[in-house]
Amino acid sequence: MEDSDMDPEEAYEPSEMFENEEAKSGASTQEDEEDPDMKVDEEPYEIQHQEVDEEEEEEEEEEEGSEKQILPQRVINLNRDLTTLVTNIQTAADAKESLRQAELEEARRLRLERLEKDLKSSQEIFEEITRGWSLSTQRAIPQELHEALNNQQQLCDAIIEDKKKLINDLQQELKVGDDRFVKDLRKQTEELDLMMERMEDQIKTLIKAYREELTQIERVYTQESEILLTKDKFEWDQHMKGLWEEELKRLTERTVKVEEYENIIHNMMIDTWRKHNIIQTKQHARFQVLERESKQLRIAKFTKTHTRHEIAESKFSLTNIKTRLSGMKKLMANLSDKYKSQRDEFTKKSRYLSEDYERKIKQYECIQKQLKHFAVADGRKFEEMWLMIDAEVKQLVERALDIDSQICKQHLGVAWERPVMGFMELCGPIQPQRVPQLLHTGQDSQDSQRMMDPSVRKEIEAEGSAVQSESGAEEEEEKLPMETLKRVMELLCDKASFLMEDTLLKLLIPLGKEGQTVVKLGSLLSCLGIEEKDIPKLAAFLLKYRHQQREQTEDVCDRSGESNNKAEEEETEPTTHLTSDLDPYDVVPALKSFLRQHMRSRESSARQHHSVYEAARDSSEDEAYWQSMGSVICEDQLRLWDTAEHKLRQYQAVLADISALVPETESLQQQNRELRMLLQQTLKVSTDLEM
Amino acid sequence: MLLNQGFMNPAAMSRSPNPPVAADPRQLRRIIAEDPHWFLNTVPSLSNLCLQSIVNHFEERPIWEDLSPVHKDFVQERLSTSMPLHVTANLIHDGVYWKRCCEKWGGIRDLTHYGNSWKRMFFEKHMENMIELFIPDVTEPKTFVKMVPLCKDYIKRLNISQLLPPVTEPQKEEEEEEEYGSELVIENEDGPSMDHFDFNIMLAKLTNLEEFHVVYRVKQCGLNFKCKMLEMTHRDCESLAKAVKSCKTLKILRLNLSHMEDTKCRLLVKYLLDHPSLRELDLSHNLIGDKGARAIGKLLNRSSLETLNLCGNNIGGPGAKALAHALSMNSTLLSLNLRLNRVRDEGGQAIGKALLNNNTLLLLHLGANEVTWPSAIALSKVLVQRSTLKSLNLSCNNLGVDGGKALEEAMSNNSSLTECDIRLTEVEEQSASFVNQVVWTNQSLEQRRHARERKTKKTSTAVY
Repeated sequence: MEDSDMDPEEAYEPSEMFENEEAKSGASTQEDEEDPDMKVDEEPYEIQHQEVDEEEEEEEEEEEGSEKQILPQRVINLNRDLTTLVTNIQTAADAKESLRQAELEEARRLRLERLEKDLKSSQEIFEEITRGWSLSTQRAIPQELHEALNNQQQLCDAIIEDKKKLINDLQQELKVGDDRFVKDLRKQTEELDLMMERMEDQIKTLIKAYREELTQIERVYTQESEILLTKDKFEWDQHMKGLWEEELKRLTERTVKVEEYENIIHNMMIDTWRKHNIIQTKQHARFQVLERESKQLRIAKFTKTHTRHEIAESKFSLTNIKTRLSGMKKLMANLSDKYKSQRDEFTKKSRYLSEDYERKIKQYECIQKQLKHFAVADGRKFEEMWLMIDAEVKQLVERALDIDSQICKQHLGVAWERPVMGFMELCGPIQPQRVPQLLHTGQDSQDSQRMMDPSVRKEIEAEGSAVQSESGAEEEEEKLPMETLKRVMELLCDKASFLMEDTLLKLLIPLGKEGQTVVKLGSLLSCLGIEEKDIPKLAAFLLKYRHQQREQTEDVCDRSGESNNKAEEEETEPTTHLTSDLDPYDVVPALKSFLRQHMRSRESSARQHHSVYEAARDSSEDEAYWQSMGSVICEDQLRLWDTAEHKLRQYQAVLADISALVPETESLQQQNRELRMLLQQTLKVSTDLEM
Repeated sequence: MLLNQGFMNPAAMSRSPNPPVAADPRQLRRIIAEDPHWFLNTVPSLSNLCLQSIVNHFEERPIWEDLSPVHKDFVQERLSTSMPLHVTANLIHDGVYWKRCCEKWGGIRDLTHYGNSWKRMFFEKHMENMIELFIPDVTEPKTFVKMVPLCKDYIKRLNISQLLPPVTEPQKEEEEEEEYGSELVIENEDGPSMDHFDFNIMLAKLTNLEEFHVVYRVKQCGLNFKCKMLEMTHRDCESLAKAVKSCKTLKILRLNLSHMEDTKCRLLVKYLLDHPSLRELDLSHNLIGDKGARAIGKLLNRSSLETLNLCGNNIGGPGAKALAHALSMNSTLLSLNLRLNRVRDEGGQAIGKALLNNNTLLLLHLGANEVTWPSAIALSKVLVQRSTLKSLNLSCNNLGVDGGKALEEAMSNNSSLTECDIRLTEVEEQSASFVNQVVWTNQSLEQRRHARERKTKKTSTAVY
């Protein structure tokens, strides 16, 4: 900062030298300025420093707190002395500066005076010269003139010399001033350095002093606190000792007193006990007397009080009941209202639902009618189609047979036999049903694969009477008592529980026995695929199965009259013996057989139900029928036909060749004939000639 | 892979049938860039990548207000310091970014001088730099016009340590003819003007400016020195005065070392009259004479100046009288510095008389003013009768023994003066030491009073 300030000033110093005199005043002011410039730089330092000191002081003060508000004199003195040391330089510089300014002013004044004096003298001389010029014009003699001129020249020289001298002096002064300026600058830098040094010293010494002060304060504080601590401790100990002694004294006193009191109390206790005993005996006697009296009284009173009590109670309860009754009535009214509204609603709903139901039934009947109509129409159409196609096919068969017979008879010369064709006699739509019947006549009446036609249904029904009768029997057995049914079901559940999942069983444990069976049964039936309505059937079957088994075994083992007895017993008490009859081990096979049968019967019944409308035809039979038609000409025959055709083709080719050769032979014969005629002619001529 | 390596380097293949993986040059080569945020393992998080892209495209799309504080810090740390100011100036608040700008600009100063604001530091520096390197008629004033609205909210102080004059030297003109074109030469032929930067352009627009320091000089001019370089011209003075007048927030004006004469001083004062906020005026080390002092005296009573520094001027007795007259009617001035003037007894006595009617002045500096004992007597009267003055400096004046005695007597009846400098005043040792003694006791008294005040303040604050 200072360097940068100094540099330009030093730099423009030389240029100052060449300034003319007028610039001198300016130059001097320049010099003036340069000094304060540095002062300006100095000031902030100082001020800052002082501020720092003050701050430090304040901090110190705050640290010391309220007890020591005033700084120790030493620090204050230090502060003051050191700052004065620093500021001394500044004031000295100020003084010097003011002195210099005064000197400059003085010098300027002297210079001005001198210049004025010079001006005056030079003006005098100049006037003399000008006078000389006017005189010289009057002179006519050249010598005089020459003399006058010389004189004038001397005067001029004098003036010039004077001026030169003056200029030299001034320049000298300027040089001196410059030198002084440089010297001043140097001095000022030195002063600045000194000032900085002192400031640093000040800071250092102050810091040191403050530190010392601080340590001292700390020491004093610690000492004080130590002293106080020891004092307090001592006091504390003394107090404690006194207290202990007092306490001990009191303790002994108290023990003595306690003993005394104990004695007194013991005596008193004995006294009081004795007195008490006496009083007690007296009281006892009196009490007995009183009791006797009171008993008599109580008996009298009791009856009265009891009745009164009862009345009060009953009254109380009556009111209670009344209030409750009213509440109940209200509730009743509410409930009845609700019930009425609910009933109305439900009746409405039921009416609506029944209407809906009727409508649905009507719809259903309508659809059934339509279905029947369509079925009949379909059947008729099918019949017609069948007849038509059958007729066509038969014609075709006839033609094929015809062709075959022709081939056999005419071409091959083999005797032809008409193959056996039973179907040819058949005609009409009945044909297809009869064919399977003819085919499967000896078969069992498990007619599930037969096609149903309304006309034949009755027969089939008759045939499936076995099943029907079975179901009928089942129906009859539906009337089994509910109890038996229940028991059978329970048994079933127990035995067939392996069919159910473990988790389900676990979940069911908390439920009651009945609930368990119900849920179990539900799951069992669903997994077996048995519907609920089949349950009685199942029960009956199971019972029956058992009977059968036993009969079988009885038949095998012993045919004694026990069986009759047993049968009678069973008939009489079917319910009681059920559980014993049904051997748990038999349940599973019985179930199996039932399921088998049940499935079969269901299938058949389903078919019965559905076949009325569905023309479920057996395409395989149809195919066989049509196949039989198609295979009227057997394979061998066909092969025969092929070979015959081949041969015939060959034969035809040969015939074609022959037919091609026929005109040639004819032409040749013609030629031959002509040639012969020619020969004959020639021969005739020759013979004529000869002749 | 194996085949490929074998193909590239059959020798390695022959040496070892199964060359190590590290032999792959791509895996051996690992450059850890000189980037402190580089990590070997972690992929930078998406948010960081986004922020990075914001930073990269900040100039086109400055996204700032929507960021969370943490992300703002991230952006501040990475934003380029060469970002144009019109983007960043009013967007980015004070913080790391401006610190980085200052660092780039170089020469970080004490932050406490800038109200702990990096942004303020940066903008003040920036503006000062621009003004200090402004060359009239060469630099475009438009740049200032653009800059001012950006930084007007942040500049509180301008400390301009140099003002360059226009290029006028004829020998230079020839050289610069090619550079600057012929227009400049024609202008200069009309009459060489030495006007400097015109503060009118911007001063009125800096709405937060409080301190303004100007020095009309050229730093490090070297051998090109001319006396004119260190002067302010008449027109400079007028423009500056107008500018200061237009700046209604200015509190402190310092105009040092600028060769200001009476006429310019009067011109300046004319514009400063009735300034609403000016508190401190520093015209030290100029060439103000009596007429200028008279003008300033007029200013004293037509403004609310609290501090006046006229040290190192050329004020003589009449000027000091004028100032004293103003003082006697003034009730705002707290500090008056007339160091290194030529007040003499005429002025000193006048000031002493004036202070008898003044109840506000705390600090008076009359050091090195060729004052002698009559003024000392006048001032000692003040010390006896008034207890407002706290600091008195009469150093480097020839007060003499009589003056010293007068002061000694006065001090024995005074308990308010806490600073009194009478060094190098030809005062007797005895009286000087007595005066110092009294001053010290006054200081200690003052400290005690301060301590007590502080205590009461503390207790009062504790009560509330």
